[in-house]
Amino acid sequence: MTSFDASWQACAARARQAPTREETPPCGFTGRVVARAFARNEAGQAEVFGQLAFRMLAGAVALLIVCALLEAPHLRGSRPLETGVENAVAELVWSL
Amino acid sequence: MASSEFDSAQCLERVRQHDQDAAVALVKALYPLVIRIVRSHCPRRSDEEDLAQEIFLKLFSRLDQYEARTGIPLEHWVSRLAVRTCLDALRAKGRRPELRMGDLSEDQRAWLEFMIAAEIAPPDSAAVSARELVENLLSQLPPEDRLVISLLDLEEKSVKEIGKITGWSVSLVKVRAFRARRKLRQLAEALKRANHYDEF
Repeated sequence: MTSFDASWQACAARARQAPTREETPPCGFTGRVVARAFARNEAGQAEVFGQLAFRMLAGAVALLIVCALLEAPHLRGSRPLETGVENAVAELVWSL
Repeated sequence: MASSEFDSAQCLERVRQHDQDAAVALVKALYPLVIRIVRSHCPRRSDEEDLAQEIFLKLFSRLDQYEARTGIPLEHWVSRLAVRTCLDALRAKGRRPELRMGDLSEDQRAWLEFMIAAEIAPPDSAAVSARELVENLLSQLPPEDRLVISLLDLEEKSVKEIGKITGWSVSLVKVRAFRARRKLRQLAEALKRANHYDEF
C-alpha cells in the first residue's frame, strides 16, 4: 500500500464517521412513484388493446377487398351479387 | 437493504395483481438500498430524488423480467438495475466541472495536504469535511470508478459483494479499484500543484 493509499484510507475512515443522511423516502415520494407506475401500466394495456383493434380492422378491410375481387367478374355480367356475400360486405362497410 | 420482516415474494405477487398498498410497501422497503446507490453516484442532493424515482419506475415496468430469473435475491436485482440507471444518467450528463482548490474549505484543504504529504498528522476537523472532500474528489472520476470506490471505501462492501451488486467479476472490481485510486492520487496532486502555481 502506498503512502497515498494509507492516507486516503484514513480520510475515508473519517468520512464514514460523518452522520448518515436520511434514508426514508421524502414526503409524497412513495405515492407519486406508485401512481406514475400504475398509470404507465394502464397506458401500456390500452396500447395493447389499440394495436389489437387496429389489426382486426386491417383484417376486416383485407376480407372486404377479397370479397369485392371475387364478386367483380359477376358484376360485369349484370348478375346481382350473391346475397350472402352482399350482406356481409354491406354490414362490414356499415360498421366502418 | 429491505428489512428481514419484509416478505418480498408475497409483496411482488400482490404488486403484479395491481395492489397499490403492496407497491407502496415495496418502495418503502427498497428505498434505503436504492438511495444509497444513488448517493454513491450523485453527490448533488437535488438530483437524487429524480434518479431514485426513475429507478423505481423501471423496477415496476420490469418486474416480469425478475420473475423469470429465479434464484437471484430481489435486492441484488434491484441493485443492478439502480447501478445501470445511475451510470446511464451520469454518462448522459457528461463531464463534471473541474474541481479547483478555491472550491474547497479550509478543513478540506487540510485533508488534501494530509493525503499528499503523508508525514503530517491527519487533521482534527469534523468528519463532514473529510466526507465532503472525498465526495468532491470522487465527483471528478468516471462513473464506474466513482461507484467502485464509494462501495469499497465509504460503504465498506467486500469485492465479492460489489461483484454481486454491479454484475462485474471480482478481478474487474479489483482492477477498477486500483485504477480509480491511482486516478485519485493524480487528481489530488494536480489540485495541489495548480494551487501552488496560483500562489505565485
